[in-house]
Amino acid sequence: MRIASGLAGTLLILLAGAAASAANDQTFDRQVPAQPRGVVEISNVSGTIEVSGWDRSEVSVHAEHTGGSEGVEMSSEGGHTAIKVRQPASYGRGQARLQVKIPKDSELAVSGVSADVTTSGVLGVQRLSAISGKITAEIAGAEVELKTVSGSVQVKGHGQPAPLRASTVSGDVHLERAGGEIEAGTVNGALIVSVDGARSVRAHTTSGVVRVEGTLAHGATVEASSVSGNLTVRASADGGFAYEVSSFSGEISNCFNASPERVSKYGPGSRLTGTRGEGMGHVRLKTMSGNVELCDRR
Amino acid sequence: MTEPSNTDRKVTSLRELPHSIEPPHDLWPGIETRLGDIRTAADGATPAQRRAVRMRWLAAAAMVACVAIGVWVGRGLLPGPAGSGTVAVNTSRPQAVQPPVNAVPHEVYVSDPRYQEQRAALVRELQARLAALPQPERDKVTASLQAIEKAKADLEQALGHDPSNALLQELLVNTYQDEMRVLTDVHEASDPGRGI
Repeated sequence: MRIASGLAGTLLILLAGAAASAANDQTFDRQVPAQPRGVVEISNVSGTIEVSGWDRSEVSVHAEHTGGSEGVEMSSEGGHTAIKVRQPASYGRGQARLQVKIPKDSELAVSGVSADVTTSGVLGVQRLSAISGKITAEIAGAEVELKTVSGSVQVKGHGQPAPLRASTVSGDVHLERAGGEIEAGTVNGALIVSVDGARSVRAHTTSGVVRVEGTLAHGATVEASSVSGNLTVRASADGGFAYEVSSFSGEISNCFNASPERVSKYGPGSRLTGTRGEGMGHVRLKTMSGNVELCDRR
Repeated sequence: MTEPSNTDRKVTSLRELPHSIEPPHDLWPGIETRLGDIRTAADGATPAQRRAVRMRWLAAAAMVACVAIGVWVGRGLLPGPAGSGTVAVNTSRPQAVQPPVNAVPHEVYVSDPRYQEQRAALVRELQARLAALPQPERDKVTASLQAIEKAKADLEQALGHDPSNALLQELLVNTYQDEMRVLTDVHEASDPGRGI
């Protein structure tokens, strides 16, 4: 009897706690008019930020925030709309799930600290940053800049010639069907770039791997470097490319049976130079101790 | 219609030019007189004065040689001061970044004082900034900084054997830039009110 009443008491406490927690959860819904090509700024410390572009000239926000989150602020003036989740100045207190719809040609700036950021259907310029949050972006033809510290970056393109810059410290970067001018860097994450008619690719890592695969535009340039990470380029290019591969102590391999030459008779270092096709593009790969693989086929 | 003068006349062929042009007067007597003046002035110096001038030049050359040897010894033989060019990171887990063996002081490769000032300030604040990050992020960033430290050490060591290697120099520059980027990102990331 005593055990049963104890269990019942515990259950009641748990239920009361759950009810209190549910009461703490709040939602926020608001729509404001916005210019079709205005600027939308969003910031959220923890949780998620989902942004999608639509055909209407208004910004719509649906937010669900819990715990220590202090609510959502939204302001709109001229062509500038700002959405901000207010948080106490410390990590880990409360989260907010933001779902934002913006005019599809807007310029978008998102800052998430540990919040995951996702965008889709936005055709304007995108500047997305997070610290530990993951960034997943769909890109169109406008400039895109993505930046994280430890979070990963995932980009889905459609081969449009958009300038794209992605950098992270320890996260991985995955670019899918990227066209245009691509610049990506990481310290010890992986850089995996699938190109679709890219005009230039610049990739740099300290100890992570770099892999560039796909098709390059006529006369495209690929430059990749690492200190100890491996570099792989398997890309075809209309008009071919001239290549120059240098490694201080790593191995150089290729799919066209070219032999690397030693840079010095007595010291380490090897180099592979030559031309594929008409040599219209340029591929330069440099590493200290990483291995390099080059192929003009996917 | 007037005839053009000799100097104004257009030359259509090299053959029309004279083989030699005599100066309006003999220049040599004037040159000889001036050379004679200079020689007299030099001959006027006493042997003691000439020796003093020579000694001054020798002393200057010796000073330059001493400085050059000092720099060479400092770069090639002495180990770099611990921590002067490295980022030492302490985390709650025992994975502090070790200073590289035979590290060359940062200043040897990057002498710009503005860069050194900014880097020193960022390194000074690094521990506090890292402490503001959640543990998993702190570990990841620490691992990245360790990767950079190792890369710098490896490159500097390789450059010690092959100082003029352009590939290594370029990669070292890239690594310095990466380090600054990471330090800046960590600095900004630890402020929750701001984005990076």
